[in-house]
Amino acid sequence: MNLKAVTAAFKQQGIQFLADPQWIIPSIIAPFMFTIVALYMHTDLTGPVVLTAVLGGGVLGMWGNMLFASGFTITYDRYNGTIEPIMMTPSHMIDVIAGRSIWNALIGLLNAVLVFISAEAIFGVGVSLADPLMFFAMLVLTLFALASIGLMLAALFVLTRASFVVMTILQFPIYVFSGALFPIQQLGVFAPISYVLAPTWSVDALKIAAIGHGDTIVSLGLSFNVAIAFVLMAFYIAAAYFLFKIIERNIRESGALVRY
Amino acid sequence: MSFVTERIRVIKASCILSIHDLFTTIRPSLWLLQVVVPSLFAMFFFSMIALYAGADREFVIIGNAVQSIGMTTIYAVSGIPGVQKHIGTMSPLVAAPSSLFTIFLGMSIFGIAAGFISIAVSLFCASFIFGVSMASINLTSALVVILLTTFSVGGISMMIGSVGIYLRTSAIIANVATYIGLVLCGVNFPVSDLPGWAQVIAHCHPLTYAVEATRGAVVGSTVADLAEPILMMIVLGIIFIILSYLMFRFFEHLARVKGRMDTF
Repeated sequence: MNLKAVTAAFKQQGIQFLADPQWIIPSIIAPFMFTIVALYMHTDLTGPVVLTAVLGGGVLGMWGNMLFASGFTITYDRYNGTIEPIMMTPSHMIDVIAGRSIWNALIGLLNAVLVFISAEAIFGVGVSLADPLMFFAMLVLTLFALASIGLMLAALFVLTRASFVVMTILQFPIYVFSGALFPIQQLGVFAPISYVLAPTWSVDALKIAAIGHGDTIVSLGLSFNVAIAFVLMAFYIAAAYFLFKIIERNIRESGALVRY
Repeated sequence: MSFVTERIRVIKASCILSIHDLFTTIRPSLWLLQVVVPSLFAMFFFSMIALYAGADREFVIIGNAVQSIGMTTIYAVSGIPGVQKHIGTMSPLVAAPSSLFTIFLGMSIFGIAAGFISIAVSLFCASFIFGVSMASINLTSALVVILLTTFSVGGISMMIGSVGIYLRTSAIIANVATYIGLVLCGVNFPVSDLPGWAQVIAHCHPLTYAVEATRGAVVGSTVADLAEPILMMIVLGIIFIILSYLMFRFFEHLARVKGRMDTF
């Protein structure tokens, strides 16, 4: 991996983020609205319900941010005519996307914290965490679990000029299968889909750190969840690396990258 | 050529061109997936939260079936000026002898029609996938309500889109409007649960009446029974269309004066 390219892409993504306020939508507005809706839907706001709603909103925000950032990063390169120069540079595309993903991950973390603070300030939910340090560590793990899926998807977004359509389609499935706002046992026969998603395990670990217990059927505690999340993340990153190599080679050969 | 005939010709041409543009970049099957999948998963997602929260599942599913219009019509219609800026066709459109409002009205027709498809498909899924009983549905009422929902929400969408002529994009406002719909319009919980000031805003949004009327149509209410929400949708739709016309003219003027027509 070319660290210089990763750093440059990180800086460039930061500049674009600050120049374009659209990112506030998936980062702040959407998760906050989902938290409000979840809180209003609960008939009984006692026990861990409030914390689950606030946490869930934060996680959904991180996913929304990651998904839109991964998809738009390629779409905007197409719009702005910068995708060809990126392909022509000696660095691999995955270096550029990785740099951008690290920036997006940082913003995702900021968004989760903001949702948490806003919920506390506006609703006065009086949230207390079972293990604050572990909670923060699990928040970072969740973020990287989502980022690793985003990296894999970014490779696929290179192939399509309709990445914004694919993003719209993919937004809600992760909301559903991550179990961020309800226990995944409720999914019944669809629950196994949740178990191949790293965010499911990290979200469960996040719940264990926050309220002392998780929701997954096969959960054997926090360490088990963390281990599974790491294995799945390693798989996604490896898949992303090979996908980028294959896609990069194919689009160079076919010359069809910017064809509309 | 008379004034009206000329306007209809421009609307028709803009509409055909926008459909052609859309399906040049996206396959029809992918577009249909974009309309159906998010609505389906939104219904699934909120019905799961309802199950966990002890809320009324059918109430939530029907509410989200109607709310699906937010993901189709509001995004599609309000995003038109932003797309024209991105692809560099805003200046030629402004230079054309036809009014910008007429051109954008034509370009919006497919997005507004997509809202009708979205609600109809979502209600079908609510019954066949989520098991919401449609045994008593009054089809005439449902048809009238869905048509008026697309009309009134189309008006809001055009109003939001007009801002995109002056600003870089209207995406943020469109998203805020969609999420306000999700929170304030009785989609997932009754409007009466909201604080007083929020209820006032809710009653200025046609989606509130659309959701209420659709729930009524599903349990068999006739058009006469639903007269109040139907009338409110007509009134709000007309108000929003007039406002969107005025806002298009205002932002077009502002963009010309300040030279911001193509600003990013």
